[in-house]
Amino acid sequence: MNNKKHSSVLNKLVGILDKVEKPSRYMGNEYNSIKKDAELSMCLIFPDLYDVGMSHFGVKILYDIVNKSDFAKCERSYLPWLDMQKAMMENNVPLYSYETYTPIKEFDVIGFTLQYEMSYPNVLRSLKLGDVPIKNSQRSDTDPLVIAGGPCAFNPAPMEEFIDAFLIGDGEEATIEMLMAIKKGRSRSEKLELLSTVEGVYVPGYNYKVRKRVISEMKNDWAPTDQIIPYTEIIHDRGVVEIMRGCANGCRFCQAGMVYRPVRERSANDIFEISKETIKKTGYEELSLLSLSSADHSQIEDAISLLKNIKDTSLSIPSTRANAFTVEIAKAIGTIRKSGITIAPEAGTQRLRDVINKGITEENIFSAAKMARDNGWNKIKLYFMIGLPTETDEDVKAIGVMLDKIKRMGFHEVSATIGVFVPKAHTPFQFDAQMMPDEAFRRFKLLNWTRRFAKLSFTDPYKAIIEGVLSRGDKTVGEVVEEAEKRDVIFADWDEMFDPDKWMKIFEDKKIALQKIMEAKSFKDPFPWDFVDSGISKGFLWSEHLKSLKAELTPDCRNGCTGCGVCQKFNVDNVIQEGIVR
Amino acid sequence: MKYLFYYKRTGLLRYLSNHETMRMIERILRRTGGEFKMTEGFHQRMKLSFGQALPTGVIDRSGLFLLSTDEILDEEFLKVANSISPLGFEISKTEIVNDKFELGKSIDGYIFKLIFLRTPEVHDGWEIEEKGKIWVAGFFNVFNSHSPKPDEFGQYLTIRDSVIFKKS
Repeated sequence: MNNKKHSSVLNKLVGILDKVEKPSRYMGNEYNSIKKDAELSMCLIFPDLYDVGMSHFGVKILYDIVNKSDFAKCERSYLPWLDMQKAMMENNVPLYSYETYTPIKEFDVIGFTLQYEMSYPNVLRSLKLGDVPIKNSQRSDTDPLVIAGGPCAFNPAPMEEFIDAFLIGDGEEATIEMLMAIKKGRSRSEKLELLSTVEGVYVPGYNYKVRKRVISEMKNDWAPTDQIIPYTEIIHDRGVVEIMRGCANGCRFCQAGMVYRPVRERSANDIFEISKETIKKTGYEELSLLSLSSADHSQIEDAISLLKNIKDTSLSIPSTRANAFTVEIAKAIGTIRKSGITIAPEAGTQRLRDVINKGITEENIFSAAKMARDNGWNKIKLYFMIGLPTETDEDVKAIGVMLDKIKRMGFHEVSATIGVFVPKAHTPFQFDAQMMPDEAFRRFKLLNWTRRFAKLSFTDPYKAIIEGVLSRGDKTVGEVVEEAEKRDVIFADWDEMFDPDKWMKIFEDKKIALQKIMEAKSFKDPFPWDFVDSGISKGFLWSEHLKSLKAELTPDCRNGCTGCGVCQKFNVDNVIQEGIVR
Repeated sequence: MKYLFYYKRTGLLRYLSNHETMRMIERILRRTGGEFKMTEGFHQRMKLSFGQALPTGVIDRSGLFLLSTDEILDEEFLKVANSISPLGFEISKTEIVNDKFELGKSIDGYIFKLIFLRTPEVHDGWEIEEKGKIWVAGFFNVFNSHSPKPDEFGQYLTIRDSVIFKKS
């Protein structure tokens, strides 16, 4: 496919963009986007609005790697908002790529990233807008191959009828291997056959067991620095450097922490070099240090002191732990005058924090809050979950007590976000029950008294139920996804679009055994994702589940192997930089 | 030194909002690696001041902004800046102005041109020119008065064509 712009789409677009909200979301032609000629073409689609999709780092990594290859090119697309979808349909504009305005069905490969389950109906809507058959059984030799990856691919069952091949695990090496297999195959079936031989790839109907793909280290070549600059203000509008992949804390609720093991750190020097180049190539005024738990990086302080040398650039660190060190880091990057400090105790009592293996003490939390207050922060935000395994009313009430104590430290504003826990596949809590909405509403009420001094926000328990069904469901849940798209239940993650009644009606119509999906399971129960090997054995997850019932801790595996099995199975190790780099 | 920049924003970039245009320009300038005056505070922004804001969808051939710097911004600088700009944006020239120069006090107004595909209705102050199959309506708009919106008069294209400075 060549890099010529498709005038058929572009010409029609000009008439449409005047009439939709925020046209710059749909314009394409962003700085640093790449137009190239290549034998094989892929369109990566983030199945949500541009503002969300452009904030996602995984797409940036793969876009860069594929476009650096000598045989393939990568373009991008996103799901347009409803006003644009309507305008496109009225004017016969199919979903198109943002580089050359090519209809997605003209690509050899369409790739989706599955970051959250609620985006499943959006995947189908994207295909429909692109005039690509939604089911893999309906596609022929002339249709693109539809592949998918991301954390949700670890349970492929609900999307199995729609996706031709799933990539499970790290995509840096596997994506190129997949594209080479597709290039080599002459027919659709031959391509699928070849894809099924790539390590980490699951092709429904072709292979019946799959082991996740792992990269053993974070090569600098894989760090995208020519990051595409959006025109419109997106959710995370800043440069990104991934400082570490994986997390060794072993929090029992966290899917990413389980499936992205082992830990692979980049060195402080590499982080600095990548960051300098990113700022130079983008002109961004802010840089985010991305990882699952940035404060755990062994050289985080060295990295920050190096990064402070990049002029006129502010730093941000998402995902840090609730301890004093986090506050030290926040102080070091100079966020004092920013909106506030965020910590995530997750649960109100020490017993429950031990159940989830959070690895922080009450002392850690209060000393972090005190230190934040002493250093000039006026606002603090805390994250909690309710519905965690073994939770009692006492645990819930303790959240309020904690908020009260923190407010008394002298913060002007204490806010708390209370989510409803959703058990995820491949975690020790995959065996646990999920709380139903009525019970969640009852437990929320136990915290109402704290509204006198804290801003509380609860996530919708129905949203949690739907997420629970989509994440622990089997193949039959695919029918729900298909029906949801048909009934226009898309952008389900957007509050203004979320309609629990419509979902419940679909569950009912499709005879989804809600209770069965939500209830507790045993070791012997088969899971729809049993054939996907994340490297962590089901036995280890079960023993972690049993330890959780006794509130027994499992230490961070950087302090000694805890026996999950990943390193042995993949012949890899935690990559820890340590040492001082100046 | 204070520089006055003249820029053009054409093609698809006409769909940028005013705020988006400003941010795009700031990032282009940052990519040049030059030293520019910044605002104070945690989120430092470049000190830029712009001419009159335009409605989204208007082609701009007379964009203006002011920038203070100790650097010499020569032809080479323009070349570099334009080479790291998105397609559809171009800085056409820069000139050094007096430190007290302010856009709000210096601009008299802008000449707008509206392109019609059929004979337009004539409004006060409009000059209509017929060019083959299109009609071009030109008029002067006083600074900070209402700018024509795309499609306001049933026009096909809306262009802010040039700037008229006050006679000093």
